[in-house]
Amino acid sequence: MLPQLAQGESSWLVPPRFERPLLSTDEGGLWSMLDREENKLKRSKFLVRDRELNDYVAGIACRLAGDHCPDMRVYVVRTPVFNANMAPNGMMQVWTGLLLRLTNEAQLAAVLGHEIGHYLARHSLDRLRDAKSRSAFGQFLGIALSAAGAGGAGSLAQLALIAGSFSYGREHEREADRIGMDLMAKAGYEPMEASKVWEQLLTELKAERDWTGMPDQRSVLFATHPLPEERSSELATRAAKMVDSAHETGVVAWRAVIKPHQWAWLEEELKRRRFGETLALLQRLIENTPDDGDLFFFRGETHRIRAADGDFELALDAYRSAETKRNAPADLYRGRGMVLQGKGEEAAAQDAFRRYLTLRPQAADAAMVASYVTNPEKSKP
Amino acid sequence: MKTLLICFLASLLSACVSMTAVGPGDVTVRDKLVVKLDSAWNKYNGPGVGKTELWTTDGLSLDVLRFFVDIGEGEQLIEVRGAHEKQVPKFRATMQPQEVVELYDAVMSQGGNRFHLDKLAPADFAGGAGFRFDYTLVRKGDEVELKGFCYGVVRDKRLYLMTFQAPKIHYYAQHAQRAQAAALSIRFKG
Repeated sequence: MLPQLAQGESSWLVPPRFERPLLSTDEGGLWSMLDREENKLKRSKFLVRDRELNDYVAGIACRLAGDHCPDMRVYVVRTPVFNANMAPNGMMQVWTGLLLRLTNEAQLAAVLGHEIGHYLARHSLDRLRDAKSRSAFGQFLGIALSAAGAGGAGSLAQLALIAGSFSYGREHEREADRIGMDLMAKAGYEPMEASKVWEQLLTELKAERDWTGMPDQRSVLFATHPLPEERSSELATRAAKMVDSAHETGVVAWRAVIKPHQWAWLEEELKRRRFGETLALLQRLIENTPDDGDLFFFRGETHRIRAADGDFELALDAYRSAETKRNAPADLYRGRGMVLQGKGEEAAAQDAFRRYLTLRPQAADAAMVASYVTNPEKSKP
Repeated sequence: MKTLLICFLASLLSACVSMTAVGPGDVTVRDKLVVKLDSAWNKYNGPGVGKTELWTTDGLSLDVLRFFVDIGEGEQLIEVRGAHEKQVPKFRATMQPQEVVELYDAVMSQGGNRFHLDKLAPADFAGGAGFRFDYTLVRKGDEVELKGFCYGVVRDKRLYLMTFQAPKIHYYAQHAQRAQAAALSIRFKG
């Protein structure tokens, strides 16, 4: 038996599949424009094309969307930012910065369910009509059309602009949350995981605020969304009312599919220089998979690059932890060498660099590192 | 004064952007470096260059030779807007070449561009023991794949770089050799 809402809580009735709107209607024109954008997206160099990952994500979307499955197209886009969006024609984007931050399949189901919720409730149409009624229709569609007509280039930039045109109001976001949770529960996922998505994000944002000392820093995502605190709490309350018998989080399948991509996504995460967020993220990932040497390596890299007071020692600690793991990455020795070099510990740095070269003789920076080993003076600025 | 006023007013419309030819012959860059050119480039004169100087032949989106000159402790390569001071990549005088690459990578990756280091090796630059790295960059805005190289050296705790970057198709091959010759000719102003 799948989880059901307790008595008194109305469940979402999924509408039948939508017909494609006539081209002569406002909605039809919008779909047509989005179809063109989708064709550009399909050719984007930023799409993650790994078959296994795409099949996995699309499979979850299908499981949630039910009869609407044939109308859903999910694209995984390589961008190190927490974001997902849904266009009214069924084109959904999930960014890698979001996938990196999720813990299990149920959390992805919560995100996808939310986006499908926007689609099923046809929020974009409300948005379109609302804008039209406020005489802002020209601006609304004008932005989208000018973006679409900007030539063959820049599909992602254009899509981001168009996605902005569909920024929903808070009531729409709340409704999408409710629908998403119903869909994930009906599909057999643990509904409590939905609130954890926001709880996790909140922890990261707080860590960044603590690091930078900025009074408050909100993602652009929250401009129109309910605050994550409120959202997490509402979702948790709703999940608690669900009578559940099938608690699937899908953590094993999730880790198997995500792990091959995690290294590249963490490299891109580091380039954001949001060290507070990254360290909070790594802390969570390490708690979930404490035997993964890659994660300790990236913790070391975060401290090494941040280079604030005490960071070099923390980096060395993290590299030491990485070294004890079965999948200890060779790059930890380069990181260790660089930190030790910075601390003036020449002999130990040389040992680390030699170890790195032994393990990674073909590395892109091997010639540079080799010069440190043969001529230690070279490593001194 | 009148010229300044005209420039200010014009800047409201055009941001006072212009190009002037540099070379052939010896060209001084930001009063610190001297480059010997065997052919002319166009120098960009406009706002927002900070401690850099930009040259091009076919236009800045098609090929750009860029100098980062006299970057000191705690300074940025390029001004990063909208970020907290602790989130901005900054130069440290103790940085090793890999860390300079990371600094450059962080700046170039702003806005979602995708940077990949192809090779980093020791190389003499501006009369000192420096480094050279080669990279690939996919520009987010138009998804054009670019190739680039960078020569660098740290002298008296200050960083000096010269980079060249152009679309992989046609423009890189068209100008890389000239850019390389320019890099190898660089010396500090006497």
